[in-house]
Amino acid sequence: MSAPQAGEGGSTPAKRVPALIVTHADLAQALVRAAERVVGSIEDVTLLSNEGLSRDDLEDGIEACVKDWKEGGLLLTDFWGGSCHTCGSAAARRHGEVVIVTGINLPLLLDYLHNRDRLSAPELAERLQQKGRDSIRVQRGVPA
Amino acid sequence: MSWALHRIDDRLIHGQVLVAWGARLDPARIWVVDDGVAASAWERDLFREAAPGIEVRVASVAEAAAAHAEEASAPRAAFLLVRDLGTARKLADAGAHVEEWNVGGLHYAPGKEKVNDYVYLDDQDREDAKALLSAGARLIVQDVPASRPQPLGALDPALAP
Repeated sequence: MSAPQAGEGGSTPAKRVPALIVTHADLAQALVRAAERVVGSIEDVTLLSNEGLSRDDLEDGIEACVKDWKEGGLLLTDFWGGSCHTCGSAAARRHGEVVIVTGINLPLLLDYLHNRDRLSAPELAERLQQKGRDSIRVQRGVPA
Repeated sequence: MSWALHRIDDRLIHGQVLVAWGARLDPARIWVVDDGVAASAWERDLFREAAPGIEVRVASVAEAAAAHAEEASAPRAAFLLVRDLGTARKLADAGAHVEEWNVGGLHYAPGKEKVNDYVYLDDQDREDAKALLSAGARLIVQDVPASRPQPLGALDPALAP
């Protein structure tokens, strides 16, 4: 593998915001697989399941992923108050630039992929919160 | 309704507790009973914020034992969570009367033997379990309401009656 060349826009710009997706069972894998059907192959996203893990082991697993993020990153988890979130919160506490977004869904993940090379982690987190919420819509009374 | 669930689970507040048991039993309050969490300001905050719409009280074993009888006569349902059998035993020794413990998750760690997919025990765990059982408590293994409750002694030969 050749070293990245200065001044060129490689596939992994230095400012790309990394993401770790932590979920129950294999939801993270399934979400990424679904997203790949929409946008093609996805790189620089790490996946972790809480399956069978104690609080300590899950926290250690998350810590191992986020400790190398020099300029912050996003922790995307399935729901607020779950172990993926609370253990992520504990691990992120030691890494100030890590921002957590709970309630991941497919539109939110796709929006992350579209914007991760141009926004900072905190900006991206705010945007994803809004996108995730806006993506849930109700349609009733569909005209015949 | 008072005490609706006493649970032993190393994850304390997490999805099964909030979503599965929470939807079934509708607790107004969750007690997280753990000397370590109670002594740590950020861990207290972490759990207090973990259950939107439910009051979370983080307490030491001594504090929880002192408040246990009063909560038993409170108008609405409450959960009590501890992370291991040793804490459950300490709570009983400190005077809290708990007839039944739900064993919901004691995950693998080095030196622990598998009892089922979500319960692993070592010698100290078994000693604590025996102390609880001999004091008259029931230890019922059940991760979520939809799964079949089974006495710990029926799953672990070392704890068979």
